[in-house]
Amino acid sequence: METLLNVAHGFGVALAPVNLLYCFVGVFIGTLVGVLPGIGPISAMSLLLPVTLSGTPESGIIMMAGIYYGSMYGGSTTSILVNIPGEAASVVTCIDGHEMAKQGRAGPALGIAAFGSFIAGTFALIALMLVAPKLASVAIAFGPAEYFSLMVLGLVVLTFLTQGSMAKALLMACIGVVLGLVGLDSITAMPRLTFGRLELIDGIGLVPVVMGLFGIAEVLLNTEQVIKRDVISTRITHLLPNKADWKASAGPVSRGTILGFFLGILPGGGAVISSFASYALEKRLSKHPERFGKGAIEGVAGPESANNAAAGGAFIPLMTLGIPPNVVMALLLGAFVIHGLQPGPLLITQNPGLFWGIVASMYIGNLMLLVLNLPMIGMWVQLLKLPYNVLFPLIILFTIIGVYCSSNNVFDVYVMIAFGVIGYFMRKLGYEPAPLVLAFVLGPMLENNLRKSLILSQGDLMTFVQRPISAACLALALALLIGPLLPALRRKRELVALDEGA
Amino acid sequence: MSNDANVKFRLSNSELWGGLIGLALGGFVIWSGLKLKLGTINDPGSGYVLFYTGILICLFAATIIISAVTEGAPTLASRWENTRWTKPLLIIACLALFAFALDTFGFLLSAIPLMVLLLRVIDPVRWSLTVPLSIAAPLGMWWVLKHLLGIQLPTGIFEIG
Repeated sequence: METLLNVAHGFGVALAPVNLLYCFVGVFIGTLVGVLPGIGPISAMSLLLPVTLSGTPESGIIMMAGIYYGSMYGGSTTSILVNIPGEAASVVTCIDGHEMAKQGRAGPALGIAAFGSFIAGTFALIALMLVAPKLASVAIAFGPAEYFSLMVLGLVVLTFLTQGSMAKALLMACIGVVLGLVGLDSITAMPRLTFGRLELIDGIGLVPVVMGLFGIAEVLLNTEQVIKRDVISTRITHLLPNKADWKASAGPVSRGTILGFFLGILPGGGAVISSFASYALEKRLSKHPERFGKGAIEGVAGPESANNAAAGGAFIPLMTLGIPPNVVMALLLGAFVIHGLQPGPLLITQNPGLFWGIVASMYIGNLMLLVLNLPMIGMWVQLLKLPYNVLFPLIILFTIIGVYCSSNNVFDVYVMIAFGVIGYFMRKLGYEPAPLVLAFVLGPMLENNLRKSLILSQGDLMTFVQRPISAACLALALALLIGPLLPALRRKRELVALDEGA
Repeated sequence: MSNDANVKFRLSNSELWGGLIGLALGGFVIWSGLKLKLGTINDPGSGYVLFYTGILICLFAATIIISAVTEGAPTLASRWENTRWTKPLLIIACLALFAFALDTFGFLLSAIPLMVLLLRVIDPVRWSLTVPLSIAAPLGMWWVLKHLLGIQLPTGIFEIG
C-alpha cells in the first residue's frame, strides 16, 4: 500500500509539464545518440550535464536517465538496419537483427526489439520500486569499511569485465583514482597534484575527462577508418511481430529481462554484459542453435530485453548505496552532486519526491520510447544517412561548448582536448577508458571511506575482514583478481570481456 | 599486420612503451604521496592513498612490461597499419591550434576556422556546404547560449561575441 502511495506521489512529480518535457527531451536525445554510431549515452550525458543546472534536480535527473535508457532502444535500430551497433549494448543485436533485415524482416526485428525493451524496462522499474527501498533500509547500517569494500569490488568487477589485459584495466583504475584525488584534500584541505594551478584546486572536472575520453577520442578513432554504411533501403513494414514471432520471443524476453536486471545491479556490470550473456543463454537453450546468426528472432528479443532491464537495474546501487556501478551511473551521480544531493540510503526517505518521481518518469519514458521507436522509425532511418564528415566536426563543436558551459572555464576545454588525445592513444594501445572514469568518480569516496575506517578502527586493518559484508566483497574482489591466473577462468573472462565504451 | 609486427625486447614494442609510461607515472605518484606526508595508519595523511596507489601503478606497469618482453607485442607502427592515421593527427593539430586561439581571439573567431578546417580535413566536404555550415553552427550556438541561456562564451581581445 505504501509503495502504491509513493508511486502515485511519483507520478504527481513526473506528470508535471516541465518534467514531461525533460523526460521527452531525454528519451529523444537518448534514441538519437543510440541510433547514431560513434556517439553513445556517455558522451550525450556529459554534454548535457550542464543543462541540468538550469532546472530542478528532478527535471535534470529525469532527462539524464531518459538519455540512458533511450539509447538502449535507439541502438537496436542501427544494429538491425545498418549492421553497425548504435551503442555498445547493441553489438550482439547486429548478428541476428541485420540478418532478419536482409531477409526482409526488418519490421518484426525492430518491433520485437522495441516491445522486448518495453517489457524489460517496465519489469526493471517494478523491481527497482520493490528492491530499492528495502536495500536502502539495510544500507543505512553500512559503515565506511563496507562502502570502501563495495567500491573496491565495483572497480575490480569492471576491470575483470573490461576487454583485453586485466593488468592494463587495473592500471587504468589506479590512474583514475589518482586523477580523482587531484585538488584539495577533503580532510586536511591540503592541495594535491595541483601544480600551482588555481583551476585544479577543486579537482579535475568529470565532464572534460569524460568528453575527452569518450567524445573526442571516439571521433579521432572513427576518422581513422573509412566508415561504410549499408542502410537497408527497402520499406520497413509489419512492425508488429506475428503470433509465431511472439511465441518464439516470449521465453527470451522473460529470461533476458531477469538476467539483465540482476547483471545490471552488480557493481561493474551493465547493459553490454547482459546483452551478450542473454544471447549466449538463448543459443544454449535453443533446440535449433544453428539458426542463431542466420536471423533468429530470439537473438534479438533476448539481448534487447536484457540490456534494457540492466539499464533499470543499474539504478539500484546508485540510488540505495550511492555507488555508481558503471560510467553512465557515475555521470548520473555527477548530476546529483551538481544539485547538492547525495544518492544513498537516505535519499529515498529524505527526497521521496525525487526518487519516486524519477521511477515514475521512467514508466512514462518507456511509453514515449515505444511511440518514438515504432511509428517514427522512418525518421531515424533518414538520420542514419547523415554523412560522417559533417557529423564529426559538429560533435567536436558540441563537446567544446558543452565542456565550456559546464564550468565557464577555458581551462576545462584544454583538459578535454588533452584527455581526448590521451584517450585516443590509450585506445590504440589497448587501454580501456571505462575503469579510469569509474575510478575517477569513486576515487575520492574510496579514499574518504578508507581513511575514516582506519581512523575509527585506530589503524586496525582487520576491520575490513571482521565485518561480514565488507569481508564478502573483498573476498569476491580477491577471487576475481586471482581468477584470470587460472587458464579456465581466463578463457571465460575473455568470452565475457567487453568494450563498455561509447 | 606485417610479419615483424610482434616483437619482444625492442624499442618498437608498443606494450613496452605503455608499461614504461605507467612506471614513470607510478614513480611520480609515489614521490607526490611521500611529499604530501603519509601520516600513520591510525591517522592517514594526504599522501597516504596516493603513495599506495602509486605502488600499485608501478606493480601493474611492471606486469605489463614483463609480459611485453617475455610474450612479445605488436610494434608501434603496426597499431596504425592500414589506418588513415594522418586524419586524427590533423584533427589533434586543429584542436591544439583552437586551444591556443580560444582565449586570445574568443569563441567565434576561433570556432569558425576550426569548423572550416575540420570539415575540409576529415573527408573534404564541398566548399558550398563548408562555408555556410562553419559560420552558421558556431554562430547559432553562440546566439542560443548568449540570448536564450545567458551563457557568455569567451570574447577574446577583440571582444567579439
